[in-house]
Amino acid sequence: MISVNNIFKNFDKVEVLKGVSCTIEKGEKVVIIGPSGSGKSTLLRCMNLLETPTYGEIWLDDKLLTPIDPYLHFEVIRLSNTYRKMMEQAKAASPEKTEEELDQEIIQKIKAEDLLKKHEGKEYKEEIRRLFKQSYIDINLARQKMGMVFQHFNLFNNLTVLKNLTLAPVMLKLKTKEEAEAKAMELLRRIGLEDKANAYPATLSGGQKQRIAIIRALAMEPDVMLFDEPTSALDPEMVGEVLALMKQVADEGMTMVIVTHEMGFAKEVASRIIFMDDGKIKEENTPTEFFERPKNERLQEFLSKVL
Amino acid sequence: MLFEDIAKILSDGELMGYYFTGFLNTLALTFFAALIGLVLGFIVAIVKIAADNYKFMKVPAVICNLYTTIFRGTPVALQLFIMVFAVLAIPGFKPYAAIITFGINSGAYVSENIRAGILSVDKGQMEAGRALGLGWLATMTRIIIPQAVKNIIPAIGNEMIALLKETSIVGMVGSTIGTLTFDLNAASSTVFRSVPNFLASGIIAGCFYLVVVYLLVFLVKLIERRLRASDKR
Repeated sequence: MISVNNIFKNFDKVEVLKGVSCTIEKGEKVVIIGPSGSGKSTLLRCMNLLETPTYGEIWLDDKLLTPIDPYLHFEVIRLSNTYRKMMEQAKAASPEKTEEELDQEIIQKIKAEDLLKKHEGKEYKEEIRRLFKQSYIDINLARQKMGMVFQHFNLFNNLTVLKNLTLAPVMLKLKTKEEAEAKAMELLRRIGLEDKANAYPATLSGGQKQRIAIIRALAMEPDVMLFDEPTSALDPEMVGEVLALMKQVADEGMTMVIVTHEMGFAKEVASRIIFMDDGKIKEENTPTEFFERPKNERLQEFLSKVL
Repeated sequence: MLFEDIAKILSDGELMGYYFTGFLNTLALTFFAALIGLVLGFIVAIVKIAADNYKFMKVPAVICNLYTTIFRGTPVALQLFIMVFAVLAIPGFKPYAAIITFGINSGAYVSENIRAGILSVDKGQMEAGRALGLGWLATMTRIIIPQAVKNIIPAIGNEMIALLKETSIVGMVGSTIGTLTFDLNAASSTVFRSVPNFLASGIIAGCFYLVVVYLLVFLVKLIERRLRASDKR
């Protein structure tokens, strides 16, 4: 469903993600945990391009959200002038090696030393353009399929709850106004807040806001939901209601990626847990293995502090 | 002495006529200059903010920055002289050149007010809009700007008051009765020829200014109260 391919993210000089790759399959519930500053929120925000990765590719099914990263496509590297020049030189220098051996060596060298230039000849340019065209998707279209829930809810303050739920589906012509309102009321009834339909967000409690933010994303009928620390800004007594709703959504088979500090929830809901530290994925496992037999040293230390 | 002169002016229909003409001209100057300023300021603010998201807006943004730098960085009196006597020195065009100058000058300030208002809206609002698949412009017009307006209105009100009083320098490029450049300030000077007490003629002009400014303040408060409806808890 989503595949993240060797992404790096720099904020000015600070490297937040240092080569992260992972795939999220349909129906999976992936929980990402890690100490603060480990890059877990940035990774999640890269998935729907709220942050643009500096290098690397993000794929949604067979559609590419980022530009082509030539270093990830060997056939593209082979078309570059740099590769050709290096190949000629290498053949002359060591004729005893086969072309395949040389090919591997050169590609590794180009990747390791970042040798590709901006202009690498016509064929190279055309191949990149071809790959891009074939997998291009308008980012707004891609985001319609990826619901996102934020730490600070981010309900639209100038709109009523009902308008919050219907604005995007109606504006994007996914539903008529009547259909969108019917769906919104159905979702509100489900979370027991149908009496708040005409209230403004400022009148709601944190837990109510977050539950409405979740159904706002659901109203778009997405294929995958991304949760960015959904309970971190809540009063402790409101955490339960939000987690309960998330559990319901999970049980209905939604594909979910969740950044959270709620270890109990992770254990109960996750099909896979990813541990991040220092901009890299350090461990990835099923909940039982992850909590009972952690292999990574940093993870053992982390778990001993939070559990 | 002062009160006698004031009474003399107030009871003289011809002198009061100057004030009313000047009053209407001041209002007209301010109104049209404000209109130009608001439209221009809005466009400039949007261009500057869009430049953070769209590369093709970078060049327009540089031009906009040059514009605000020049028009906020030089005195409006100088701008008025240059526009009226050089750039737009077309016979009979003087009042319009003045309106345009005040409008462009005001636009430079308004653009910064609007930009600050838009930037004061929580970043999460734009992110939420974009994450739902709405475009930048759609999120801007449906979510960000409606929230920014609340923060912008007081500053715009302030700018309109400043503009109203700034138009009083229009007489510097020459004012004759019957043209738009004959504003309240010019009326005060004309009245001074008949009743040679500048304090008296000035106080009356000041009262006219006060009345308009007070009306403006009242209007701004009214709008603000309306817009704060969604904040009520």
